[in-house]
Amino acid sequence: MDTLNVLLMGFISIVIVNNLVFTKFLGICPYLGVSGRIDMAFGMGMAVTFVVTLSGTLTWLIDHLILIGTPLEVTRYVCFILVIAGAVQLVEMYLRKFFPSLYESFGIFLPLITTNCAILGLCLFINLWGIDSLLEAVVLSFGAGIGFTMAICIMAGIRENLNMADVPKCLKGAPITLITAGILALAFMGFAGMIR
Amino acid sequence: MYKLKHFIEQSWLLIAASFFFGLLIAVTSAGLSPRIEQNKINKRNRLVGALLPEAKNFVPLDSEIEIESLQGQKETVEVFKALSDTGECVGWSFNAIGPGFADKIELVVAVDKNFEKLAGFDVLASNETPGFGNQIKFDYFRDQFKGAPTEGLRLEPSGDNTKTDDAEIIAISGATISSEAVVDIISNAITQIKEQIKRKGLMGDDR
Amino acid sequence: MTGKTEAKSTAYRQTLLAGLWRENPVFRLLLGMCPTLAVTAAVKPAFTMGCCVIFVLVCSNIIVSLMRDLLKPHLRILMFTLTIATFVTIADLFLKAFVPAMSETLGPYVPLIIVNCIIICRAEACASKNGLVISIIDAVGMGVGFTVTLCILSGIRELLATGAIFEIQILALLKDGGWFVPWAAMSMPVGAFITLGLMLGLVNKVTNKEA
Repeated sequence: MDTLNVLLMGFISIVIVNNLVFTKFLGICPYLGVSGRIDMAFGMGMAVTFVVTLSGTLTWLIDHLILIGTPLEVTRYVCFILVIAGAVQLVEMYLRKFFPSLYESFGIFLPLITTNCAILGLCLFINLWGIDSLLEAVVLSFGAGIGFTMAICIMAGIRENLNMADVPKCLKGAPITLITAGILALAFMGFAGMIR
Repeated sequence: MYKLKHFIEQSWLLIAASFFFGLLIAVTSAGLSPRIEQNKINKRNRLVGALLPEAKNFVPLDSEIEIESLQGQKETVEVFKALSDTGECVGWSFNAIGPGFADKIELVVAVDKNFEKLAGFDVLASNETPGFGNQIKFDYFRDQFKGAPTEGLRLEPSGDNTKTDDAEIIAISGATISSEAVVDIISNAITQIKEQIKRKGLMGDDR
Repeated sequence: MTGKTEAKSTAYRQTLLAGLWRENPVFRLLLGMCPTLAVTAAVKPAFTMGCCVIFVLVCSNIIVSLMRDLLKPHLRILMFTLTIATFVTIADLFLKAFVPAMSETLGPYVPLIIVNCIIICRAEACASKNGLVISIIDAVGMGVGFTVTLCILSGIRELLATGAIFEIQILALLKDGGWFVPWAAMSMPVGAFITLGLMLGLVNKVTNKEA
């Protein structure tokens, strides 16, 4: 019961309170690039969730089974990024073979995800926070993906309406998206202190 | 055999590069790690040295101290015995972590040699709101803990600004939760560590 | 002979200046946003991050340029990633050893240089196709452009958030008898997003670019 409590709190914390995009500045490049339409945004969000859950779990396992406490610890970053690149490759091959329609809808996003800072960032944060249990790592990774999806869908919804608004010419595109993201970050700050 | 040859032909650069890079990392790490370790020790000495001025050496305890954190998880704590240059015990120091308002707060706490009074604390890591919870790092808040008793610490709201007895800590105006977090983290850690140290009979001077 | 060297040195100068303005990685190419937002709360961490990026860019461009004829096409990205990860690890170790306070402030954003799009893009676009000298110059240009951008942004944010730049107090704070009331929001995520957005808008206006 206690474990369930910790997991639930951890999940809510990383989706809302410590949202990766608004508080930790991870995943900004795809956030700016793909948040134009809701269906694209949702697709990107789902792809990220899939990959980040897989990577978070794998890197936690490698960290705790092989790296921690041994002199190999210094190769942590190299190992993490290679695992992430490998995981993305695997996911791509798997999807292409077994779910071709899903693969088509993901399109170009899947290879782009390797350089998405959110994935490596989350794996490093899990290491930094000293998460000790595999279950907690899985839940946090999944939560991070859901948080990213939520953030990007909110932004897509807003941007679809912004297209019809009278934005000054020099602010169109990335600048107005960033300013909107700033206001969203301000709103999300209201959630701080929710979890004790 | 052909497959192996084909494999090697495609990936020899990758394998060679991996070896080269691995070597580079290993050499750098071996060369710099004594310095990195020294930095960690220097940092602790500097922070606790400001709280316990007579301490010259910090000796880690041989046995492990395990406490239950505020969130109910078991954690091992590194407790250090502070010794003067004559080998007399002048106090103890340890790190304590707990949930704050925005994120976790990590403190380094120093107590006197009998675990009766606090020598003070310093903030190692925190992400509290700037201008409000951030003020737990400021002297006017931290000074209240110097000389406070280790038992019965309690937080008073910041309405009436004067401290009437040593065990009272006046909260930061507008940052009650952060102030309360600090008091809770320190009380929780001290109570358990003190009990374990007394039980293991580790108090006393190192001759 | 002189004509050729003259053409070469113009090319070098062009490449160097490109990274500073015409192809500024943050303002024009919109790359490397994550560290730009994360470390620009104060000038010191921003400058440290900029120096790390210059180091990693130069080293990785050198190695990739040396290797460019030997690379197998489908293993290309993997090789780039491996090279960059190695140099970021080395940079991180140097930071931990020589400036531990900065290493703690920057935290996990130093290893995030590995996935910083600037470095992979330059390796792909420039170093894997050009000789050693051009690659180095390109790396220096991009790196310096990135550092200068970071310093400008963090200068604005730190000045408005604390009245100081590089921890040297410039505007007298109200509580010390001056007039300036610090705008704490600038050191929080809100300030980061809004400052960058407004700066990008300003650059767009100056260059009359339509997004």
